[in-house]
Amino acid sequence: MSGRLVPVLQTGAFIVLALVLCSLIFLSVGLSATGTLSAIIDGAFFRPNALNHILRWGLPLLITAVGVIISFRAGYFNIGAQGQFYLGAICAAFAAEWLRGSPALVAVPICLLAGMAGGALWALWPALLRVKAGADEVITTMMGNFIAAQFLVHVTSGPLKDPAGSGQQASSRPIDAAWRISESTGSSPIIIAIAALVVVFGWWLVNRTSFGILSGLAGRNPVMVTWQGAKVQRIAISAFLLSGALAGLAGSVELMGPNGRLASGFLPDHGFTAILIALVAGMSVIAATLVALFFGALTSSGLWLPIMTGLPSAAIDIIHASIALFITAKAGALRGLLSWFRR
Amino acid sequence: MKAEQHTEAGVTAPALAAEAVTVRYGEVTALSAVSTRFEPGRIHAVLGQNGAGKTTFARVAAGLVPPAEGAVTVFGRRLAGGDVAEARGAGVELVHQSFALPPSFTVAEVLQFVGPKAGLFTKRGIERHWQRWLDGLGLGLDARARIRDLPIEMQQSAEIARAMVSDARLLILDEPTAVLSPKGTERLFARVRELKAQGVTIMLVLHKIREVLAIADTVTVLRGGELVAGPVEAQDLTSETLAELIIGEAAARLDASDRAALVGAGAQHQPDQGRPDAPPAVVLKGISTASNTRGNGLSEVDLTVRCGEIVGIAGVEGNGQRELVAAIAGLEPLTAGEISLADQRMETASLAARREAGLRIIPFERNVEGLSLSSPLWENWGAAQLVGGSLLASVRPRNLQRSAEAAFQAWDVVFSNTAQPAGSLSGGNAQKVILSREMDPGAKLILAAQPTRGLDIGATMAVWKALRQARGEGAGILLVSSDLDELFDICDRVAVMVSGRVVAEFAPPWDLKAVGRAMTAAGQQPALEAVP
Repeated sequence: MSGRLVPVLQTGAFIVLALVLCSLIFLSVGLSATGTLSAIIDGAFFRPNALNHILRWGLPLLITAVGVIISFRAGYFNIGAQGQFYLGAICAAFAAEWLRGSPALVAVPICLLAGMAGGALWALWPALLRVKAGADEVITTMMGNFIAAQFLVHVTSGPLKDPAGSGQQASSRPIDAAWRISESTGSSPIIIAIAALVVVFGWWLVNRTSFGILSGLAGRNPVMVTWQGAKVQRIAISAFLLSGALAGLAGSVELMGPNGRLASGFLPDHGFTAILIALVAGMSVIAATLVALFFGALTSSGLWLPIMTGLPSAAIDIIHASIALFITAKAGALRGLLSWFRR
Repeated sequence: MKAEQHTEAGVTAPALAAEAVTVRYGEVTALSAVSTRFEPGRIHAVLGQNGAGKTTFARVAAGLVPPAEGAVTVFGRRLAGGDVAEARGAGVELVHQSFALPPSFTVAEVLQFVGPKAGLFTKRGIERHWQRWLDGLGLGLDARARIRDLPIEMQQSAEIARAMVSDARLLILDEPTAVLSPKGTERLFARVRELKAQGVTIMLVLHKIREVLAIADTVTVLRGGELVAGPVEAQDLTSETLAELIIGEAAARLDASDRAALVGAGAQHQPDQGRPDAPPAVVLKGISTASNTRGNGLSEVDLTVRCGEIVGIAGVEGNGQRELVAAIAGLEPLTAGEISLADQRMETASLAARREAGLRIIPFERNVEGLSLSSPLWENWGAAQLVGGSLLASVRPRNLQRSAEAAFQAWDVVFSNTAQPAGSLSGGNAQKVILSREMDPGAKLILAAQPTRGLDIGATMAVWKALRQARGEGAGILLVSSDLDELFDICDRVAVMVSGRVVAEFAPPWDLKAVGRAMTAAGQQPALEAVP
């Protein structure tokens, strides 16, 4: 087990280093480092109802992150979680609009499924471009993010526009209150159950199925898997679709749960934070659960910061960014070592 | 001109002197305390098995690798090592095993590029200048030819010419014959003698006794990084004594034909004539593939491998062997022809279906096509069990790990646990992992592509034993190798490929000359035949 402990300790050390770097940044703008850090920690873990807030922000991130892990492990750098998340929310919102008036027991599952389908669809075209034409999925999925964000603006100010809206921020009509799967400010047993299902499914898929083993091999050496007779294209498309579907599910959960309506430009960092979670977790579904909750805590603390210290909530972005810096530097160092080893 | 320079440098200084040279790569000692002296103006062969340290010795002598201990002197100048310019200044040049000339350049451009002159030139001018110079060398090269259009043998000549531009007085060729046909080897040796006549000292790294005895003035033998003998006058040596020097104590335990095959002394094994009445494991009828970036595709290849038979594919590399293996595997689409595997038509079947029918593959590139180096051993082994089934099939890693462990033990793989990455194994052990995966009782046709390349004696013998055992159990084996001694030792029949065609088939008793002629004769590019 000590073999597993090393990366865990290493990752912990990187997070501590990132916090030290942040303290230096806070110091450099004339803030007290310890004061700011303790405010962040207070806001994350010790304010009233902290656990509920952690779950509210952490669980949707976790759902998307599991999808990211599935595609990254297969060797496909689907950077499009954000766009797939938006498309999921948009499709769920359309479904909700069409189902207006039907009972919650019918509408909620259909909306969630519509969200998954939307996310999967937004991952399908980069997958096909990659598999059939060799187009780099990093570029296509990232472009997909911009298109999805513009589409969200269009939808919220066009087809799904709330006629009673204030006009300050374009948004859809609110979801039927009976269909909401959580309060605006917290999590709920339903969301916890969905996230738990996703984690169990993700863990099983990655560690206990043919797909998990073969996609892991293909992610490291697709040529070898081809010579073993595996259908690498099928693995690739499945990995893209699954990761898109999970991002889309997170989108519909946000819509049906805490958000309650589709607003243009909502949660613009969701997908990128989920990618960061997958990287910090070292592509392990179990580790991602803990890491997602940690990032959930940071996000919830970000909303608390302006009240406590007068810092903008964007200060949390500095922490995210420093963690990303250290984690990617680690991944880069590992890749360097690997290529040296291959030589 | 060369001879003059040589006398200038002093007749007494040896061309190369190594004093207790030790080279380490990380924890591996590649050479340990090797001391030797090569007299100038002669042809020196350095001989040994894979992993004996030959290439390391060549690299340290050419000043590419600094020795950890000891000293290397070239014509009396001590090399610090790790500096090509320094070595060049001392008059030593190395021609590598794999060539590195820019494919789009002409020979004249290459020579101009590495030459010392700067300024403005006309294309015609440099072509004329270098053609004169090339004619003096007697390499038979056309200065106007583009590198990519040259057959491999002439590319090697261009490499030699490139090395001679700096007026090298000690020319080191690392395994120059590995890429050549027997005929090409003869021509190379003629050129080497020509260079010697011009006063150049030559060090040839070789691993075949036949070749060494044909060309060398002195022989130096390395084994396991240590100097076993040398330099010894070649005329005082017989092929038997050399074989024992190369292989060491293990030589006594080897079958005479295997021993001869290992050291390239001319194997004459007479296998039982195959089984002409056995059912075919694979039948290829007129298969062709589209031509690809590597050159020609296959063109109307007919070939049958029967159960209980080893059929060899001989040929200079790049004559369609890779395409043949890929076509049988279903990874290279056919433009025409039929493939039957174990009596089932398979030309449109997926590789998974072909594996289901009993196809097994030991691929050319062990570390790319054969294994995922950064993945754990058990996943590498287990992939074969998973590809046939559904992607959602449930897998018990513990069971796969146990099966892998049992298989590795049965194949004498040296490993510590099944979770270690495949890249942490030595080449021989890595190949045994592939054997343990591919050579199960369900195997009906085994494609073995260069299965012993780069392996030491022990691992080579393990591969041969495995192939013979599979033959004994009734599998058909198609063995692709560029080593004729290997083919002659273990094959029942040998087919020769040239330019994507099977041009001839041979059965024992083997006639090296005839096979060699077939490898170079039909369909070769005229540039090759133009060589005097």
